[in-house]
Amino acid sequence: MTSGDFGMAHVGWVKAHFAPCARFPCHVGTALRAFAHPTRRGWKNAAALLLALAFADIPATVVAQPAPSSPPPATAAPARQRVVIGYVDIEGDPRYEPVRAYERLVLKTRDHPFPGAQVGIDEAQALVRVLNTEFALERITVKAPDQVAGAVTRAMMERGIKFFLIDAPAEAFKPLAAAVKGREVLLFNVSAPDDSLRREVCAREMVHTMPSLAMSMDALMQYLVSRKWRDMLVFEGPLPADAQRTDAFVRSAQKFGARIVARQKFKPGTDPRDREQNNPALLSAVRGDYDVVFVADDAFDFVRTVPYHTVRPRPVVGSIDLEPVAWHWTWEHNGAPQVNSRFDKKSGGRRMEGADWAAWIAVKMIVQSALRTRSADFAKQRDFILGDAGFDGNKGLPVGVRPWDHQLRQAVLLAAPYMVVESAPVEGFLHRINNLDTLGDDEPETPCHLNK
Amino acid sequence: MPIRPPLRSHLRPLLRPLLAFGLVAAYLTGPCSGASAKDTGLIFVSNEKTNNVIIIDPKTNKVVKDLRTSRRPRDMHFSADHTKLYVACGDDDVIDIIDVAKLEVVGKLTTGSSPETFGIDEKRRRIYVSNEEGSSLSVIDMDQNIIIHEIPTGAEPEGVFVSEDGHFVYVTSEVGDLVHLIDADTGNVVQDVVVGTRPRRFAATPDGKELWVSAELSGEVYIIDRKEFAVQGKIEFLPPGMRKSDVTPVDLRITKDGKTAYVTLGHAAHVAVVDVATRKVQSYILVGKRSWGLGLTRDEKTLYVANGFGDDVTIIDLNTRKATVSIPVGRIPWGVVIDD
Repeated sequence: MTSGDFGMAHVGWVKAHFAPCARFPCHVGTALRAFAHPTRRGWKNAAALLLALAFADIPATVVAQPAPSSPPPATAAPARQRVVIGYVDIEGDPRYEPVRAYERLVLKTRDHPFPGAQVGIDEAQALVRVLNTEFALERITVKAPDQVAGAVTRAMMERGIKFFLIDAPAEAFKPLAAAVKGREVLLFNVSAPDDSLRREVCAREMVHTMPSLAMSMDALMQYLVSRKWRDMLVFEGPLPADAQRTDAFVRSAQKFGARIVARQKFKPGTDPRDREQNNPALLSAVRGDYDVVFVADDAFDFVRTVPYHTVRPRPVVGSIDLEPVAWHWTWEHNGAPQVNSRFDKKSGGRRMEGADWAAWIAVKMIVQSALRTRSADFAKQRDFILGDAGFDGNKGLPVGVRPWDHQLRQAVLLAAPYMVVESAPVEGFLHRINNLDTLGDDEPETPCHLNK
Repeated sequence: MPIRPPLRSHLRPLLRPLLAFGLVAAYLTGPCSGASAKDTGLIFVSNEKTNNVIIIDPKTNKVVKDLRTSRRPRDMHFSADHTKLYVACGDDDVIDIIDVAKLEVVGKLTTGSSPETFGIDEKRRRIYVSNEEGSSLSVIDMDQNIIIHEIPTGAEPEGVFVSEDGHFVYVTSEVGDLVHLIDADTGNVVQDVVVGTRPRRFAATPDGKELWVSAELSGEVYIIDRKEFAVQGKIEFLPPGMRKSDVTPVDLRITKDGKTAYVTLGHAAHVAVVDVATRKVQSYILVGKRSWGLGLTRDEKTLYVANGFGDDVTIIDLNTRKATVSIPVGRIPWGVVIDD
């Protein structure tokens, strides 16, 4: 049974549930996940959701459940079309482990951006009747990054899914790009910021809605330079991700005319023999003055000890205090409070973050492509998304896909813990075509030329 | 806000004259008894972040009153006789009622979640209010202070326009990029039309043929043919020195002769003057940052513009089409109405 068959059987159901059926897609997704992974919590979920399914008339394609008994309406309406969006994530993805100081002291909880995608589906409910098309999410959870490519291929071949949100770390993307090369499919990278995906992997079938590291660091640098804070002291952590962040920051400094006073490697710990590397006061006692201390610490461990411990009284940016992010819960312009509020309700009180925004906008782009092309035809929708369309990202200038590397051009927010200090592109940083392209790899800078 | 139970029907005819008498008495004894409730010419500006309505005397351009309201006041409308001003207050889920003679909040109507804009049907004594957070349009009985109907809309409903005969209500959905046509008698959405990205507010031509709707993010005004309920055209804007992406139209007004329209362009910091017949932009007037709300005097000689990011109101002389002065008001001014 293809996904198309479902629409015919359920014409009546959707009509009857037009407004209040917002929760439908989440039942499907979570149930699938629960069945796929029978952990203890999973079975509990599965049981609870089976109950929910019984009430929600879930399609036979997903769970063996007969179509609703109510006959379709007498007026022979054209078959309702259905756009299914796959959401692929990895069980136990370490990027979503809580950040702890000690076992019982959780500093940050981190979650998959799935509720962001759900909010996007909910928002599309008003369009079901206009487009005669419904949108649904199918959550596909795999066990390891190397299983992502296989899961996408299977969903594509067996269930005809053409749009996917990929919530996976960078290493999943290279095999994925090889597996889908030349296929009728569009994958949205919603959580991996790695520049290599936009530069070396450079895949035509991908769109990166998460800002790249280069964009984030350019945004931060624009702000620092706009304040005339041009001398930077850099602390680099031991992880590969820390080196990547630091490299991106140094590149941005060159791009915007800032100076790296010193690049110091730190080593977390309290060993007095390593004090030159683990004591922020000693690390910051460098020859010459600096305006700002930049810290790259993906583990969010050492960086906590930097503010107020430097030799000179200087602001700390990067992995703490002033961070470049795709989204922040305190952003109050461009209709952002309403998006935050819908996310809060959907996620059970979580604060919306960058990846949540990236998942939300990916769904929104797919929905818009159906609305604006008046079509459920994949090729038309894909061409619309990859064309010069602007989408409402609720953060200022319309967002859109860069034709050269398929990165979504967008504003980057510079967030302090309780306030978005500034939104980049910062005023005064101009581009000959679109100011958003002052952030990250512009066409002449990138090695990726998908438009040529 | 407790919802007042409906009055017993046999009491209602008795109460109306009593209420009216009360109002007259208040008017005679009130502190502003020297001023007339009508045609004061006063300018009312709602301020989202300071929870107040600032009242300006147009003769002196001075603030004459800082009136506390419920939280996050936004859209405002006068009653037909201008004795009352209704103010939608988004963070308290109420519409405050201001006595125009006394310049005091004298009552509240309960709405759905986060009321933003509304329309009044005086004949049926109904208010139609869009609930930004609730994704619905509430129909409020003004006399009984009860929500008699809740109509589901697309996410973030905003602009509300009640047809002249009261039979239809038009509502935008900012997230859905739609205008809903709602049958006011049955409370059903009868049709939707797709417009540009993030549709905000309405203005109707006086001949009743066209409904103009601003699309903030796509930077356009869509023109809907009301008979066909279909998009008939659109207007794009580009003030000198601005980029297309700066143009974020929000509020709009059409003059009584149906010849000229004024459109605020938000981040592009201009008001566009449009010739309605040809749909061509005639000129752009420089105003403040994030210009949203518009107020047009009855003689149509003066335009007031609320600048959301400037915390002020710009006054435009429409003869010369130039800004004459900007007056500081509260934080994040939203809308302007004029008692004339």
